[in-house]
Amino acid sequence: MNSVAVQADPIPDTVLLRFAGHNFEPLPSGALFWRARETLLVADLHLEKMASFARRGQMLPPYDTAMTLTRLETDLRRTGAKRLIALGDSFHRPDSAGLLTPADRMRLDSMTDAVECIWLSGNHDPVPHAIGGTCLPELELEGLFLTHEPKKGQTGLVAGHLHPAARIAMDGRTTRKPCFVHDSRLLILPAYGSSTGALNILSQAFFGLFHWPALEVTMLGSDRAYPVPVKRLVGG
Amino acid sequence: MTPSLPPVIADWFASRGWAPRQHQLDVLGSYQSGASQLLIAPTGAGKTLAGFLPTLTDLVDGDFEGLHTLYISPLKALAVDVERNLSTPISEMRLPIRVEARTGDTPASKRARQRVKPPHVLLTTPEQLALLISHPQAELMFATLRRVVLDELHALVTSKRGDLLSLGLARLARLAPDMRITALSATVARPDLLRDWIAQPHPGRETDLLHMVGGAPPELSILETEERLPWAGHSAVYAHRELYETIKRHKTTLLFVNTRSQAELLFQGLWNINDEMLPIALHHGSLSVEQRRKVEAAMGSGKLKAVVCTSTLDLGIDWGDVDLVVQVGAPKGSSRMLQRIGRANHRLDEPSRALLVPSNRFEVLECEAAVEAVSEGHQDSEDPQPGGYDVLAQHVLGMACADAFLAEDLYAEVIRAWPYRDLSREKFDKVLDFVATGGYALRAYERYARLRQMEDGKWRISHPAVAQQYRLNIGTIIEEPMVRVRLVRARGQKSGRTTGPIGAGGRVLGEMEEYFFGTLAIGDTFMFGGEIVAFEGMKENEAFVSRAFAKDPKIPSYMGGKFPLSTYLAERVRRIMDSPDEWGAMPDQVADWLRLQRDLSVLPRRDSLLVETFPRGSTNFMVCYPFEGRLAHQTLGMLLTRRLERMRARPLGFVASEYALAVWGLGDLSGLIRTGRLSLDELFDEDMLGDDLESWLDESALMKRTFRNCAIIAGLIERRHPGKEKSGRQITMSSDIIYDVLYQHEPDHILIEATRRDAARGLLDIERLGHMLSRIRHHIVHKPLPQVSPLAVPILLDIGKEPVFGEARESAMADAAEELLREATGG
Repeated sequence: MNSVAVQADPIPDTVLLRFAGHNFEPLPSGALFWRARETLLVADLHLEKMASFARRGQMLPPYDTAMTLTRLETDLRRTGAKRLIALGDSFHRPDSAGLLTPADRMRLDSMTDAVECIWLSGNHDPVPHAIGGTCLPELELEGLFLTHEPKKGQTGLVAGHLHPAARIAMDGRTTRKPCFVHDSRLLILPAYGSSTGALNILSQAFFGLFHWPALEVTMLGSDRAYPVPVKRLVGG
Repeated sequence: MTPSLPPVIADWFASRGWAPRQHQLDVLGSYQSGASQLLIAPTGAGKTLAGFLPTLTDLVDGDFEGLHTLYISPLKALAVDVERNLSTPISEMRLPIRVEARTGDTPASKRARQRVKPPHVLLTTPEQLALLISHPQAELMFATLRRVVLDELHALVTSKRGDLLSLGLARLARLAPDMRITALSATVARPDLLRDWIAQPHPGRETDLLHMVGGAPPELSILETEERLPWAGHSAVYAHRELYETIKRHKTTLLFVNTRSQAELLFQGLWNINDEMLPIALHHGSLSVEQRRKVEAAMGSGKLKAVVCTSTLDLGIDWGDVDLVVQVGAPKGSSRMLQRIGRANHRLDEPSRALLVPSNRFEVLECEAAVEAVSEGHQDSEDPQPGGYDVLAQHVLGMACADAFLAEDLYAEVIRAWPYRDLSREKFDKVLDFVATGGYALRAYERYARLRQMEDGKWRISHPAVAQQYRLNIGTIIEEPMVRVRLVRARGQKSGRTTGPIGAGGRVLGEMEEYFFGTLAIGDTFMFGGEIVAFEGMKENEAFVSRAFAKDPKIPSYMGGKFPLSTYLAERVRRIMDSPDEWGAMPDQVADWLRLQRDLSVLPRRDSLLVETFPRGSTNFMVCYPFEGRLAHQTLGMLLTRRLERMRARPLGFVASEYALAVWGLGDLSGLIRTGRLSLDELFDEDMLGDDLESWLDESALMKRTFRNCAIIAGLIERRHPGKEKSGRQITMSSDIIYDVLYQHEPDHILIEATRRDAARGLLDIERLGHMLSRIRHHIVHKPLPQVSPLAVPILLDIGKEPVFGEARESAMADAAEELLREATGG
């Protein structure tokens, strides 16, 4: 186990995730805090997802955007981050940013006023939007290559898109939760949005992306994240 | 009133040497007097003819144009079967009557034609009725309707299909005010309620309650075994040999069990000893439709000696040759038992015969209670309940598809449906609001509305696509998400445990509910398709299993039968236990067990709750005996462990059976109670149904499953259709997410309310738990013991076999993280 930093006994409450020479803190919300740079990384907010269903006649509750924003405001406040980087699919549809309820729009505006926001584009929101901050296709930063879709070959790649989840089995108990997953070259963040589902990292979509012996998995608990042994992973 | 039978029909009876039966004439007389009627009769007994005699009588002269009679049954197979049965007398009498069935299998062109030019008699299901009345042509189609015949009404009224049907009837009563209803039902506890149910659409119309009299009482006995009766479990393996001998002695035997895994086990057990190669077949819901049809056909042509089946054969086509019904495992309720017995021997003058086979000692008590109840003719069938808001939402959308409506008109019509007779206008408006825009306090979706109110005040669908969407999502039967089970080569297991090489990517064994696999660990063994298999993993929509040599499956996949022990039988079981004078009738093994309990602990009394506490190894147990069924016990277990946690008794887990609940933990429960630090009266106080329940509901998987069904029926989530890429898993996940979002932000939303009401009677059985808690208030008998009591042995044996609940699942992650830490630090 080369990069899970172990500090104290028993399990430390703050888990450290080491990747590409930097230390990150995986938060139970699914955000990744880069303390040294006062930066919060999130992926796949999918704001306005439920509203986009309503347009097609499925009136899903219009509260998911507000929930995700609350989560985000809490993380920003607790970490004191000065910068937010969203790794794409921040909006569920290209025109979603224009359809926000006035209340949600106001909250988002005061967030972009308070911290520097960088919105990378994703397959759901490929074109720049009119929300405050900077819209970029991707971003290189101190040896990190931040983008939406994971791919092989690039070193220091930090991505989202796949909504990773892990299921583990321990003594007859099984738990399935979203997770961070990384090896020495690639780090994938869990989906952050309150309306997002998750895909088991043992499924086809993840095949060939990681160097299996170097794989590390950090699952989201209710108050903390848990690094778990890869041999405990099961499908489904 | 004396019925008038046209000569051609009277002659037909005479030519066959028959006379119309009294109940057939009663129905005809009642109909001719202008009334609706409910006929209570056992299965068979010429009920079909009773139902259709008025139609034949009306239509003999051949001058009727249009749809005369609509027949609705819970099974499309019944509709098809009735079509066949009716065509015989019609063709023999050369009557000019056109009869057609309409099911999901009817070709689209024929269905379209049926709407424009309907037959005289249309045989169909509640779902097809809903589709028909949602069509703009419905008014025309049903204008001529004179009769509605409802078959097996007892099976419909306790489900959401019954709600849907009742709303359909309310609409039919408006489209065809002269229509009269004839309902056929098995014997039920409250026939008066069923009569009210069919009377509701026509206030002021007479509705007669008719009973078919006569018929020999059923003969019911309990298997007298030479073998040792097991303490626990549901397999009844001890009885396989004796059952095999019984099958040999009879012409055709139907063996009912309560769950699919029991059916698998019994079927496999019988074939293991089937030296004479008797044709014994298996019939349950996971087998493919073709396979089931094959079994039914073989049964119909008298080729089978026995069929092992689940409730899939509770209803259906009559088989004349069945001369014995066997119930393996708990009978659950006397009405259920009587209806199953009714599947044997449809000749009225001879008694139906049934044999009960308890699979453990507690079930002996339940079987005794059932025999008593049946011999007294006591019924304990469930009463029809208030209608679901989800079904109402579906209906409201359907009615908007038929035509624009005024809210007050539709409300007045809806309360003519019995389950909705007490619906307030306020609730109706909430449902209407939900259908139109989702019904959220945050009015975010006005621009996407499915229904809009026009200037004339009428509600109209906003787009034709809404009607298409409605038609795809109709119905109240929700399939569990299923996964394919595929046989593969075993991997990562000790050699010798498996039967050797099986080609990778092997054959598909069948399908199974997805949630079952959510509880399995790799290597767990369970029974499927008549063999024991080991779980190897999951990929997308497939579960991989390998053949295993294990003698007993580790996971019984019992998953609780669908039906809990009836309150009535539970009451009787408590009474039997409390009456040592009656123990003589029971097998010695069981009577001895109860005596031992009396000597070493105390017996549970009728009007109190016995709570035993005792240490065992390093843990402490608390076992109580409410006899309220597994679902209510599970809910009780969830709530008790929360409270014990707060009282610092450090609970670890619990297991629930139909009869008892065992909770265990680290705290010294006997000591805590003795020293007054733990009060059982407080622990079992009804107030647990307040905040504790509330805080559990927002994370309960059972609540989420209930919500998913409501959301699909109400049209919030689209139904899954073959060919569409949205898999069952995605629907399940997204419905969980929707529940989380909605429960947090609008806990009084109409769909959450609908979910709560369903859960209270369904998977959580809160209602029954509430009754129990108020009954035992201040009547708790505590017995601290030095070790396990005789009565507690069965439930303790269930630990490790039944799903165990306990501390938050997060503990699995914590333990895994600790394991990783140990590895990392070389510990």
